[in-house]
Amino acid sequence: MNKHASLTAVPVLCGPTERVKRSLDRFMATTPAICHERAVLITEAYRQNEQQPSSIKRARALEAILAGVSIFIGDDEIIVGNQASKPRSAPIFPEFSCQWIEDELDRLEKRTADVFLISEETKAKLREAFGYWKGRTSNERAAALMPAEALEAHNDLVYTVGNYFYNGVGHISADYAKVLNSGLASVIAQAKAELAKLDYTDPAQLKKMHFLRSTIIANEAVIAYAARFADLAEKMAADCADALRKDELREIARICRKVPTRPAETLQEALQSFWFVHLAIQLESNGHSISPMRFDQYIDPFFQANKARLLPEKAQEMLDLLWIKFAELNKVRDEGSTMAFAGYPMFMNLIVGGQKRDGSDATNDLSFMCLQASANTGLYAPSLSIRIHEGTPDALYKEAAKLSRMGMGYPAYYNDRVIVPALLARGLSREDARDYGIIGCVEPQVGGKTEGWHDAAFFNMAKIIELALYDGVDQRTGKQIGPKSGSLETFTCYEDLLASYKAQTEHFVRLMAAADNAVDMTHAELCPLPFLSSLVADCIAEGRSLQEGGAHYNFTGPQGVGVANAGDSLSAVKYLVFDEKTLTMKELAEALRTDFKGREDLRMLLVNRAPKYGNDNDYADEIAREAALIYCNEVNRYTNPRGGKFQPGLYPASANVPLGSVVTATPDGRKAWSPLADGVSPISGCDTCGPTASVLSVAKLDHEIASNGTLLNQKFHPSAIEGDTGLENLKAVTETYFKNGGFHVQYNVISRETLEDAQRNPDQYKGLVVRVAGYSAFFTALDKTLQDDIIARTEQTF
Amino acid sequence: MNWKQRQFSFSLADKDRPGPIGLVFDIQRFAVHDGGGIRTLVFLKGCPLRCKWCQNPESMSPHPDIMRIPHHCIGCVKCMSACPEQAIVMDEDGRVVIRRDACSFCGKCVATCYAGSMSIVGRYLSVDETLVEVERDRQFYENSGGGVTFSGGEPSMQREFLIAALAEAKRRGLHTAIETCAHGPWETFEAVLAQTDLVLTDIKHMDAGAHKSLTGVSNALIADNLRRMAALGARMRIRLPLIPGCNDTRENIAATAAFVAGLETLGAHVEGFDILPYHRLGEPKWEQLGRQYPMPGVRPPARDHVLELASIARGYVAAVTVGG
Repeated sequence: MNKHASLTAVPVLCGPTERVKRSLDRFMATTPAICHERAVLITEAYRQNEQQPSSIKRARALEAILAGVSIFIGDDEIIVGNQASKPRSAPIFPEFSCQWIEDELDRLEKRTADVFLISEETKAKLREAFGYWKGRTSNERAAALMPAEALEAHNDLVYTVGNYFYNGVGHISADYAKVLNSGLASVIAQAKAELAKLDYTDPAQLKKMHFLRSTIIANEAVIAYAARFADLAEKMAADCADALRKDELREIARICRKVPTRPAETLQEALQSFWFVHLAIQLESNGHSISPMRFDQYIDPFFQANKARLLPEKAQEMLDLLWIKFAELNKVRDEGSTMAFAGYPMFMNLIVGGQKRDGSDATNDLSFMCLQASANTGLYAPSLSIRIHEGTPDALYKEAAKLSRMGMGYPAYYNDRVIVPALLARGLSREDARDYGIIGCVEPQVGGKTEGWHDAAFFNMAKIIELALYDGVDQRTGKQIGPKSGSLETFTCYEDLLASYKAQTEHFVRLMAAADNAVDMTHAELCPLPFLSSLVADCIAEGRSLQEGGAHYNFTGPQGVGVANAGDSLSAVKYLVFDEKTLTMKELAEALRTDFKGREDLRMLLVNRAPKYGNDNDYADEIAREAALIYCNEVNRYTNPRGGKFQPGLYPASANVPLGSVVTATPDGRKAWSPLADGVSPISGCDTCGPTASVLSVAKLDHEIASNGTLLNQKFHPSAIEGDTGLENLKAVTETYFKNGGFHVQYNVISRETLEDAQRNPDQYKGLVVRVAGYSAFFTALDKTLQDDIIARTEQTF
Repeated sequence: MNWKQRQFSFSLADKDRPGPIGLVFDIQRFAVHDGGGIRTLVFLKGCPLRCKWCQNPESMSPHPDIMRIPHHCIGCVKCMSACPEQAIVMDEDGRVVIRRDACSFCGKCVATCYAGSMSIVGRYLSVDETLVEVERDRQFYENSGGGVTFSGGEPSMQREFLIAALAEAKRRGLHTAIETCAHGPWETFEAVLAQTDLVLTDIKHMDAGAHKSLTGVSNALIADNLRRMAALGARMRIRLPLIPGCNDTRENIAATAAFVAGLETLGAHVEGFDILPYHRLGEPKWEQLGRQYPMPGVRPPARDHVLELASIARGYVAAVTVGG
């Protein structure tokens, strides 16, 4: 198969229309609020269906929600369907957990990050609803199912399984193509056909009956929801004085009667059908990271069918408007989590390019138009990604690099060379592996077939270093929480320390697996999701929900956080204590115990003189690789209740901040309670040899074993990537990283704010270089007035 | 041992090893404005010019220098006790002062300064040691059309080392560039040119007298060398550091651009004419070396002024850039 596209003409790319600009202004002017409707409706539905099995109860609840929530069609909207009573408002999902919301109701308007407006009426209605849920939430059940030791380690933040412990799972992609091409009517027909085959005298098949019935109820509820929009559009059209808008509303009404029930035929029908399904999934559960995935692949045929009759700017406008709809979806998080997840993120990952199932290049017109939609809207949603393989056309690469340079951190680049084999090793078929997309931050899977549980936990690798150095005693609480594996005072060689690190890793990965499995069992028992399950193979055929293992592929993916801290801590001890003998164990122990009080010189020794991961230095890089492998190999040992395997990832979302807040001073020179390194990125300020050395270091990790994803954030000062040559250089960095085995990279362009932060926290920016012809120096070596000069120039280029 | 690790220690004795030994003051990876693609810049010490605006003042002397970044100092004063010459002392106000004349470049202060405040500028490297560092980014050069650039200082001041290093880089299949002020014996440049794919050079002023007062030397030899390079068909990028009040008149830009056009006529492949607006990033390094910055208070040129001058230059040369 020829991997290279025979022809890659860039389609006509259009900037934002006036309608898109108005819609963006409206979006920006809207403050998120809390909407009580869903919480009230689900509570009532549960009260009325107490006797029903979970699956039916959930289907009836979805039915009540979709029939009862307020709907509206906003000015300028072409694609319709809202998640809550106002744009950007967030519904509440009390069935997963609600104690924290109740505790924080009065703080939601006042907190510093991710503010939500909330009325007194809403507070009262929510309090009433929460009364029902006390003792009934999935959170409380999961806590009861968890071994005490596993819950304790979660509370001590050796790991956190918090995501699915407090929320729905999400982290999935439905088979959108199936809906677009066949319609929900065909899903219902399939469920009915399976029902007809059942023998109810078999207890196992009786259980299937409930599930299959629940999928029919849920799909019919979504069809009825679309019809509500058709009715509303017709009514609005009748009252509309503007002839153009009247026609648009009539077209919306026509389309909402047709999709998602029946197959879509035009671009607008396809986008509307997609949106109803995407929205219904968001209302069924609050699990975030619902991924549109390979949107360019399943939408492009509808664009091509329509292309001759559709102006390019109209097609682009529809996409841009859909992008704004993505950003209107919202979720409220507890105040602690907003510190880590500020910016109302929903992690809806949409990926373009890569290979088709047959291995040929998949780039099409929509691939370019999706990049353009992100450039036109400049919003944080959807999370735009691009797959890179040998046959990726230069033109697509270049458009992607241009978008990277805009400084939004998008697109994220993914490496087919590593990810396809990594998925093959996890048992995916070759075609499925080539068809992968991304969930959430960086997690690969094949959409519409997988329950990946990708964000199962964050494992605190730096805490493991602490426990490894202190004989299993938590330095924050003084409790003995890990096995007695030796301490700074007893190690006589590096191998002793490494053995201790291994012992602690083994112990806590085992507990983490138990904690995850307890949460997993809870979702199966209390929170099956009939609508979502009906759109993921093989749930209907198997007669089992996703939560009970109905998906074709099942995984659990917990992430190691702080690879660089663990690696650099081990390196520092090995190099300075055992190899060079610059430092005794006693001195090191004392400095760590006192958080380097009065021993800044010693901290500087650890920071500046020990080899550091991120500088293309094999000594440090190999130890970081080993530290990561020890974690990954442990995770690989476990199995989940859905019959799938655990698979490790190495990325933090933003958990590196909270996880760092419980870890004492570490031998990498990190002060107590400060953040950990981000993803597989080197410690901030320790990668002083520039981006090329940094990516070569990171590529030395085994990214293939970490098949749940690794994450590299690479920062550039705008001076480094200006002009056409800057785009070429960005591509060269990506290409080199990927040829050496990297998994994911995304680029952040350093802004004025970053440089101001560098002035305040020079330690974290020691590697920062402002690129000027023929000049040699680091930013932090300049004095304040000159740094100010650079800051003033940063966003101005000649 | 990579370049970063070399900073932890210094030995004068490295100079006396066999083979051409260079005095290198920095090796910077991912340089993107110095000859096309992603490059590694090798900075060699020693320069015959004394430009008042010099952005790398640590490059001037052909010998090691001692440098101190005060705001990196954590006040551990280990450097003072480590110095066998008592060259590092504390003044009455409690400030660390270096008696530079007394320094014997033993490197003991650097070895104890974990915070990276004290440094000795320059490491004596063999050609092979230099190329090992350069080769680490070979894949990036291949993917971006980059390579190695020897800069300075004036790299040709270390004639023997430069030629050997360039030849070795060529032998290893790397694209080579030099960044030169072109002030030196023609024989040296002729030999260097044979191993160099691209010459980055600059003309600080077209008037010989003004050139001498700004840099300490006349531009006659420079212009002559550039013409000879052009006649040999050299591939060149000509750059003009644009210094407010020194060389930023319309007349000087026009004269410089006309000279560049003349080089093309003589046979040079001029890739571009780059106007490099003055910046003050070198200023703190003067202080860190214990010297007075000769141009305090000069501000970077205004954007409109730079763009106007660039458009004048475009009247003579096609490929004019700002910032390289």
